Amino acid sequence: MNIDSVKLKSLEKLAEQIRKDSIWMSTRAGTGHLGPALSISDIIAVLYGEIMKYNPKNPSWPDRDRFILSKGHGCLALYSALAQCGYFDRALLKEFCNRLDTMLPGHPERKLPGVEANTGSLGHGIAIGMGMAMAGKLANKDYRVFVITGDGELQEGSNWEAAMAAAHHKLDNLVVIVDRNKLQLGDFTENISQLEPLAKKWDSFGWAVKVIDGHNIKEITDVLSSIPLTRGKPSAIIASTIKSKGLKFAENKVEWHYKVLTEQQYKEIKDELSLEELAYE
Amino acid sequence: MSKIQTKSTRVAFAEALSEVGRSNSKVVTIAADSQSRHGEFVREFPERSFNVGIAEQTMIGVASGFALSGYIPVVTSYANFLAFRAIEQIRVDVATESLNVKMVGTDTGFSSQWLGFTHLALEDMAAISALPNIVIIDPADAVEAFEATKAIFDYDGPVYMRIRGRKEEPILPIKSRKFEIGKAQVLKPGKDILIIACGSSVYDSLQAAEILKDKNIDAMVVNMATIRPIDEKALSDLIPSFTKVITVECHNIRGGLGSTIAEFISERGINTQLLRMGVKERFGMAGSDEMLKQAFSLDGPGIARSAEKFLNEKCGR
Ligand SMILES: Cc1ncc(C[n+]2csc(CCOP(=O)(O)OP(=O)(O)O)c2C)c(N)n1
Ligand SMILES: [Mg+2]
Repeated sequence: MNIDSVKLKSLEKLAEQIRKDSIWMSTRAGTGHLGPALSISDIIAVLYGEIMKYNPKNPSWPDRDRFILSKGHGCLALYSALAQCGYFDRALLKEFCNRLDTMLPGHPERKLPGVEANTGSLGHGIAIGMGMAMAGKLANKDYRVFVITGDGELQEGSNWEAAMAAAHHKLDNLVVIVDRNKLQLGDFTENISQLEPLAKKWDSFGWAVKVIDGHNIKEITDVLSSIPLTRGKPSAIIASTIKSKGLKFAENKVEWHYKVLTEQQYKEIKDELSLEELAYE
Repeated sequence: MSKIQTKSTRVAFAEALSEVGRSNSKVVTIAADSQSRHGEFVREFPERSFNVGIAEQTMIGVASGFALSGYIPVVTSYANFLAFRAIEQIRVDVATESLNVKMVGTDTGFSSQWLGFTHLALEDMAAISALPNIVIIDPADAVEAFEATKAIFDYDGPVYMRIRGRKEEPILPIKSRKFEIGKAQVLKPGKDILIIACGSSVYDSLQAAEILKDKNIDAMVVNMATIRPIDEKALSDLIPSFTKVITVECHNIRGGLGSTIAEFISERGINTQLLRMGVKERFGMAGSDEMLKQAFSLDGPGIARSAEKFLNEKCGR
């Protein structure tokens, strides 16, 4: 599919706002996984801005496409997208890690409208998504299930158990997008436990695989518009990304896994990135 | 109390680990991604430091293999991903054979704060205590975490120690800091009510005792750093002198300190009433350490309030 330039612009704007909100929320809270949110911002923007069908006024609409953020620590990006798409008022973003028992904790919970699964313990999302995909087929529904996993997260064996079984069950309504930012908590993935050749792994597990640039909105849109990549197979999209994308000094740096800006740093980049006032009350 | 010193239990653990590593060449560390928990050990002994990736079940399996080959493996993880994700490996590979594996769960109680219920470890001791053979330790402060870390390497068998985060915590204003597995320590004498605590609740219980003193209630405070094996001698010496006993823990009241003391009291037929303070019939939630302790009445004032109310209640005998 060829998306027009107007649409492209609006998706880019959505992604940019996700980044700005993520930086804003985490700076205000003084905590959060900023780098992991910035690396998935473009993918989330395309999913919510173009690809998925959903109804924010009826979050449990049975025919909606499902989204699971298996790397739950990237939730800043999800919270911003859900707010921008009308699941709840933007004012709620102030609550991120800022109130006891907040609706927007450091990992997403189902109590927030639009969140489909409680994640934060890595390696759960693909199997839950697989169950939703099977349920969809059982109920003769044509919704799709999109799961974003981290790349480090793929070191958890549970992912591969589900990967094997999902291919066996021919779940072509299941899509896994791997946020291939090459970094995990403590180091580069290839320094800790090598993932490559990653595309071959998915292929050998029976999935249809595509490697894309996870920051190229057009490319993301094109590939997600052609799901299933192959009939009868689940789809694995390996999105090459940059951890902390958009924050130049933090890009591709391991220490930005679970780190946020100081107020001073925020002020320094505020104009350049046209960020909002922190506005504590 | 005079100026209080502070230190993180996680830092203290890492320091002790390096020390142990220097005197015992059989000690190896195995991480599941976050190797920083092992501190300087990794730089001092790179050849004895391993990382299996984000794979806690594999981490326990690998540790078991090392133990079966004569090494003393140390594993660390956020407590939930150790005590729950890898529980079956712990049960079948480690516990049945009483393998010499040292398992350290980090960020326990409320110390993972805003990360929410997936990370707040409030049932980890319950999971581990359901399995035979594993020693369970919840050190009160950084000094005890340091001493306990050294002590668990002098013990041959599986240990689960729960520590907290990077946050600096108050160091208890007490002199004698010898740590022995399975030994309770009376930190403050008292005659009106007995407060038995573990982990960071020990400090808060001492705070509560101060508050109670102003209300003419003389509380004894005991640090029960080892939950298993429980110090039966101390319990049978102390408990019968009190009509009211309280346990305090940053954990569910099932399967941790409170349960253990309840079992002891009822099985011994001791005529005393017990109040278990902790988290009851729910998961954790996001919040700062302070907010959460306050919400669950597990800060000093909260413990004092509950103690006072409990003392004034008629016992239903
Ligand atoms: C089961 C489990 N183990 C460990 C963690 C701690 N943890 C949180 S994020 C993370 C690294 C994840 O790396 P990756 O999947 O590459 O995601 P990224 O940080 O790049 O977004 C780890 C180890 C966890 N949340 N869950
Ligand atoms: Mg990554």
